[in-house]
Amino acid sequence: MSANVISARKIKKDYQDNGIVVHAVRGIDLDISEGEFTAIVGPSGSGKTTFLNVLSGLDTPTEGEVVLNGQKISEMSGRELSDFRRDNIGFIFQAYNLIPVLTVTENVEYVMLLQGIGREERQKKVIRLLKELDIEEYADRFPPQLSGGQQQRVAIARAMVSRPTLVLADEPTANLDSRTSGDLLDMMRELNERTGMTFLFSTHDQLVMERARRLIVLKDGRIDSDKTRS
Amino acid sequence: MWLYMKMAWRNVLRNKRRTLIAALAIGIGLGSMIFTDALIIGMKKGMIQSVTDTFLGDAQIHRQNYRETRENDLLVHRPAEVLARLAGDSRVRDFSPRVISAGMISSPANVSAVVVYGVDPAKERDLSEVDEYLQQGRYLEAGERGLIMGRHLADTLEVALGERVVISLSKPESGDIVQQLFKITGVFKMPVEELEKGTVFVPLTLVQEMLGIDDRYHEIAVKFRDPAYAYSEDETDFTREYTTNQNEAVNWPELVPQMKMVLELSNLSLGIMGIIIFGVVVFGLINTLFMSLYERMFEFGVIRAIGTRAGGVRRLVMLEAAALGIISILLGMAMGFLLTLVVTKTGIDYRGIEFAGSTFTKMLYPVMEWRQYILHPLMIFGFTLLVSIYPAVHAGRMKVADALRRSL
Repeated sequence: MSANVISARKIKKDYQDNGIVVHAVRGIDLDISEGEFTAIVGPSGSGKTTFLNVLSGLDTPTEGEVVLNGQKISEMSGRELSDFRRDNIGFIFQAYNLIPVLTVTENVEYVMLLQGIGREERQKKVIRLLKELDIEEYADRFPPQLSGGQQQRVAIARAMVSRPTLVLADEPTANLDSRTSGDLLDMMRELNERTGMTFLFSTHDQLVMERARRLIVLKDGRIDSDKTRS
Repeated sequence: MWLYMKMAWRNVLRNKRRTLIAALAIGIGLGSMIFTDALIIGMKKGMIQSVTDTFLGDAQIHRQNYRETRENDLLVHRPAEVLARLAGDSRVRDFSPRVISAGMISSPANVSAVVVYGVDPAKERDLSEVDEYLQQGRYLEAGERGLIMGRHLADTLEVALGERVVISLSKPESGDIVQQLFKITGVFKMPVEELEKGTVFVPLTLVQEMLGIDDRYHEIAVKFRDPAYAYSEDETDFTREYTTNQNEAVNWPELVPQMKMVLELSNLSLGIMGIIIFGVVVFGLINTLFMSLYERMFEFGVIRAIGTRAGGVRRLVMLEAAALGIISILLGMAMGFLLTLVVTKTGIDYRGIEFAGSTFTKMLYPVMEWRQYILHPLMIFGFTLLVSIYPAVHAGRMKVADALRRSL
């Protein structure tokens, strides 16, 4: 049996919205094993993004504990958390969210620059990945000069370039047409199979649900169902 | 660091219009600071010149206590030695010995109290500008029993050019009254009220004769070659060296202490102006940085999420402020330089305007100094970095999840 990449226990997250306390996550226990291709689904307001933020250490839970790659993230300082995310988690956001003032190459090598990896190694990795994702010809372009699908490919490249153990994708196909979405999802699944990286999606896109091997349904901040496909 | 520098520079150029507006606001502040500084230096120079060039001189030598008491018998000690020393002093451009005595001047129509200046016509012409203010007639000639007086005094005495007046003086040693008849050879109109209303100039030797003080003087006025030395507001080595043998040498700040106060006030004005400009810079910059920050909240959230430390975000914001500062400084220096250059050519006509008891006699020209293009920009740059600490800390403290939830 594969080791757990994520182990979340009794996660609760409340936040204030205009003075009203919102119970976004109401006590979730979850284990995600290495190499999984999992989707957390549910309607808007079901707590998907909040839960993902807590799992990745972007937000702190009101109650409960998250262990990522065997490390309790609640015990980490802000600086340690930043370094931990840099080295262990790749993020793919809904609106691509590339750094608009950096070229495709610079965006992809950004994390490696933070890691202090040398120029030669960076370039080698970036070129290989851009080739793999079929965006090599856009290497010197800036994000606003690319289509949505091309930008999301760059975002995938940025998320995967440092070989993180976990890739978190928050509504990665929300702004894409179904054909581009399908292509990207197939590509991510292929990468998951080939590299063994764990993928965790938050989505309500049918295309993602169709491709996920494990489907966790959230409803009102709780897990409503958790099914694994054979 | 190179990555952050690259990002900061590109971010600043990203919203060109906003950057240009902010840079113009800061640049105008710097430019006006540079120009005001140059103008104040020019104004100070003009004020000092108005006082020292007209008649006072850059420095004066008297017998000790003469300035306080104005007693007739306090004459410059060993005058020949002093004059010889001045003649050989490379710092000195011109000097003019003077005999000064309070007396009465009478015409057939009226009588008035006056200060009589016995001056060496040739030396005085080089040192002061009395000759340049003659409205009628001509300047004094050595040995001639002539006299020049102000327009105001001539009107009081109801006399005209070529008419005669009698001057009465008291001898220093005996106190005897001596009188002499003088012909009015010239009438001047000067911007210095004191000279215009109650002063007459006569050839030196005639006054010395009347007072019985051959080859002795009450005052020796001095003009220096180097303007910077002349305009120095501090005590100079000249005054120290010539304050000896019962004589005292004083420079213009001591002769007209009110002028020194006015100049100090000018420095204060520049300081206040600086504070106002820095205030504008501070708020302009904070506003720009925060606008840019809130506009890119999501972006900051993303770069924090993918592993940038809070310190990296702080550095990025500060580098953006620095980049904005550099653009603003270049603009400000160009604006300040051009404005100062134009006014240096055209000048500002303040002639005849009285300010703090002194009347400007010359056109006002701003004075450019390297300091204005080094010190002020450096101060603006330092201030920019200082001011950016607040938004930088704010950006570093943002909660990543909150930032990712917010986008404009």
